[in-house]
Amino acid sequence: MKKLIALLLMALVWSIPVLAAGTQYQMRVDGLACPYCAYGIEKKLKKIEGVEKIDVDLNKGLVIVKVADGVKLTEKQMTQLFKDAGFTYRSMTEKAL
Amino acid sequence: MRKIILKIAGGIVALLLGFAAVIWLVWVPSASEPGYVFVAAWGERGAAPGQFNDPTGIVVHAGEVFVSDARNARIQVFEFDGRFKRQFGTRGDGPGQLGRPMNLNISGNELYVVDYWNDRIQVFTLDGTPLRAIGKAGKGPGEFGSPGGVAVAANGDLFVADFYGQRIQHLRADGSFVKQWGITGKIGIWAGEFNYPTDVALATNGTLYAADGYNDRIQVFGPNGKFLRKWGGPFALNIFGPFNGWFATVTSVDIGPRGNVFVADFYNNRIQKFSPDGTFLTAFGKKGHGPGQFDKAIAVSVADDGTVFVADYVNNRVQKWQPMKK
Repeated sequence: MKKLIALLLMALVWSIPVLAAGTQYQMRVDGLACPYCAYGIEKKLKKIEGVEKIDVDLNKGLVIVKVADGVKLTEKQMTQLFKDAGFTYRSMTEKAL
Repeated sequence: MRKIILKIAGGIVALLLGFAAVIWLVWVPSASEPGYVFVAAWGERGAAPGQFNDPTGIVVHAGEVFVSDARNARIQVFEFDGRFKRQFGTRGDGPGQLGRPMNLNISGNELYVVDYWNDRIQVFTLDGTPLRAIGKAGKGPGEFGSPGGVAVAANGDLFVADFYGQRIQHLRADGSFVKQWGITGKIGIWAGEFNYPTDVALATNGTLYAADGYNDRIQVFGPNGKFLRKWGGPFALNIFGPFNGWFATVTSVDIGPRGNVFVADFYNNRIQKFSPDGTFLTAFGKKGHGPGQFDKAIAVSVADDGTVFVADYVNNRVQKWQPMKK
């Protein structure tokens, strides 16, 4: 019984960082090329609570955003955000970390 | 029937060739000045002194080169030969801290740093002591939506390229609003309208040159604020291209010692030089990573002796060029 409890506790401890690792979103954006564009998008994204890391790949037109566990970015939210930043949002993929 | 089709096709081809010839003759001027020669380059990607992570602005003054090192949230200062002298600024939004520093300017003995993320102009002494900040985020008079560049008049008045505000604002030294060019938040391609303006430069006679970023043109306003002229491609109406006198996103403008206008032509990887009335004089630079090549020329500043310094954005370096001897 003790072994079982110990194993369960270990599994729980082990799973916490995994559960708390958050989500990575990869967004494809049209017209994303100069730093004025990239910084404008970063500026808007970093105002969203739970956004932890933003990477912009100008050459591929990709914005990669890591958010904290429990935070969700929606297509509607991103479409508006990129529109406000002056760009056209195309698509988004989501990956649990 | 076949002959008629061939005739029509021939006519269309001749018309297109004629049209291309007209465009070439009217809107693609030849260089009327000798070019510039590459002298030196310094910098590489990194965060150590002398390294850069997105150099986005540059200004020269009294033998020193000041560079906005955007992602490192600092200003680095160099000798004209590239030797590192000092750095200042840390990441943040407090006094003296920087978000994304962009185009720079110096007036008197004060450095004006445009802070794109913090929506303000920060003023420093040349050794890096923060003095004051002007502006805040917003769409109202004297507020900014990511400023890109600033020019300073002799009386201390400021002219600010308000990137998302789609306007150029004229402010007093204390930040109080005087007037603006462009309609707040509205993109336009006609004279006096803007499409993400990135920078401004002021000639000694008070003429204002605005880098109308995504309209791929320069717009010029007289000391009385009246629109004077614009240039950049056919009719300067947001038509981009790689030809002489055309642009592909304008990110910086500076006035040389003889009043000529130097423009950072971002996607064309070059600097173009014009007379004050917009006549194309010469250009230098091409895409690449070698000496004298740019991977996105983002900012330009001209020293009193005519030496030109360029922030070479993707290559994370500064380049120094001098006029070719006649």
